[in-house]
Amino acid sequence: MDTARRQWIYAWLMLSPAMAFLILFTHYPAVQTILNSFYSTPRGRREAVWIGLDNYQTLMLDDVFWKVLANNFWYAVWTIPLSIILSLAMALWVNDKIRGRGFLRMAYFTPTVLPLIAVANIWLFFYTPGFGLIDQIRGLFGLPEQNWMGSPDTALYAMIAVAIWKEAGFFMIFYLAALQTVSPSLKEAADIEGASRWYYFRRVLFPLLMPTTLFVSINAVINSFRLVDHIFVMTEGGPNNASSLLLFYIYEVAFDYWDTAYAATLTVVMIAILILLAIGQFFLFDRKVHYK
Amino acid sequence: MTTGKSITLNALRKSWGDTDTLKGIDLTIPAGQFTTILGPSGCGKSTTLRIIAGLEEVTSGTVQIGGEDVTNRPSSARDIAMVFQSYALFPHLSVAENIIFGLRVRRMPRAERDRKLAQAADMLGLGQLLDRKPSQLSGGQQQRVALGRAIVADKSIFLMDEPLSNLDAKLRAEMREEIRDLQKRLGVTMVYVTHDQVEAVTMADQIVLMNQGQIEQVASPRQIYSTPETLFTAKFIGTPPMGTCAAPALGIARDDITVGIRPEALKLDNAGAIKATVGRVEYLGADAMIDCVVADQTLACRLPGQTDLTPGTAISLRVGPEDLHLFDRDTGQRRADVPAEFAPLFASQDTAPQGPHTSSIER
Repeated sequence: MDTARRQWIYAWLMLSPAMAFLILFTHYPAVQTILNSFYSTPRGRREAVWIGLDNYQTLMLDDVFWKVLANNFWYAVWTIPLSIILSLAMALWVNDKIRGRGFLRMAYFTPTVLPLIAVANIWLFFYTPGFGLIDQIRGLFGLPEQNWMGSPDTALYAMIAVAIWKEAGFFMIFYLAALQTVSPSLKEAADIEGASRWYYFRRVLFPLLMPTTLFVSINAVINSFRLVDHIFVMTEGGPNNASSLLLFYIYEVAFDYWDTAYAATLTVVMIAILILLAIGQFFLFDRKVHYK
Repeated sequence: MTTGKSITLNALRKSWGDTDTLKGIDLTIPAGQFTTILGPSGCGKSTTLRIIAGLEEVTSGTVQIGGEDVTNRPSSARDIAMVFQSYALFPHLSVAENIIFGLRVRRMPRAERDRKLAQAADMLGLGQLLDRKPSQLSGGQQQRVALGRAIVADKSIFLMDEPLSNLDAKLRAEMREEIRDLQKRLGVTMVYVTHDQVEAVTMADQIVLMNQGQIEQVASPRQIYSTPETLFTAKFIGTPPMGTCAAPALGIARDDITVGIRPEALKLDNAGAIKATVGRVEYLGADAMIDCVVADQTLACRLPGQTDLTPGTAISLRVGPEDLHLFDRDTGQRRADVPAEFAPLFASQDTAPQGPHTSSIER
């Protein structure tokens, strides 16, 4: 047997364990999910039957689906830019030579270390009407009690705030790492030319951070669909689906109502949205990103 | 065309915590001249430059540029341009954008900006490279872009922090000349920091030699070589460095004096008063460096490369009074006079036969 062939077999042997798990737990379920979305949900003695696009038709007429999609849209619209801007601002701040820098970095990163369920518990205390932290502060100014999680107008925004709080520290670490690769002499060169802080940020620092921004924004988009743990703990999607998100709805359909075929349909839609967004981001950003 | 401005540093001090980096620097850098600040690593030369640039704050003391006190002014208001050791080019901007970065900051009209860019690109031979990114350039080309950014700024003073240390030897020699030419042509005041004495000696009108946060000597290259004011200067300037030994080793009863003799000033002469043994012989092509062991001390001697001296040979050497450098043993300061005790060193040499080198070997 010649060497090239032996190398080839060797390579496949090395790859196969990881490949086996990837196929078993990712590719096969994904394909199965797509297939399931064209079948009815099997119940009791009735086998799943091919129903073509019926599930997709149901989905088009499902008011709750459109409601959670809209919720998810606003959830993404607020969490993505706010968490990125906040994380960049925090990173710029703790990258400067300031007193207590190590403490600040740790403080900012703490929400990331905490499990989202624990974070949700902390925020439950903040939001509790009457004696929660926010209402206590409002009370100092004579403002009335507010049920942040119980009102359809504010429930979604209460969830958005938790997500931003959780995410910003995580993204900050990436920005901080990127900032530390930027040579300090660039800032000095800009200072000598008389560039203001803002001019330096806009023309030099931000463009140099673009690869990180791309990475962080793709993560933020994925997280805006994925981070729903706190909804289980805090609102369970209520009131009246005001704070329900697509992934939470999928869970409800699949494991509360046991309508697995319809849940598969919703999943296919969510994956399609995510794929489109990721591709869009790569095309949008790629021209603007300077890689070293 | 700009004209240079002078720089004056008064009692400049800089400390970081308990570490004193600069311990009182008084210095005048004349307008329109090429001044190099030379010294070993950690001597404070870069700190001095960065204080002139306004990139570091002084602990005490003042900085004057063109007669005005600029100690508390930002870098951009000091009429300076700077070239960094790392060049500090903006990696995401093209060569052209890098060069005109400062002009954009100052909102210079487009036509004037383009004219200046063309002029600088022409001067530095960057015309073909204006659309490239810094990462697509060689080290020498990046260096030129950094120079271009300084040129278009139209400032009176150019500060350079070891600008050639990242280049290979051949390119360094080329750029030395180019930078020197540029300074002459623009008439700016150049302050050039380096640890390489060859750069300092070949380029400078004035050398400022620093050591441990203090100035050792300020002089022209010739003067600093011919009359080093301190023992440190004597040993730092010159390749190979000046050989030194305690006076008693030469048979002179003055143990408060350290004697310094440049390798080329030591001549083989069998009537010479210095009796030595050949130590190591290092062949350098045109020259050979001989370690001459005198008593328990060693003096270096430069001889023509074809010398046939071998280690262990006893030799006699002479030195002229003008080539003898005497320093106080304790303070390291140069002594102006040659004490009478040194007379025996030169006693017979005027009448000694000037034979070929080989004749002076005593076997």
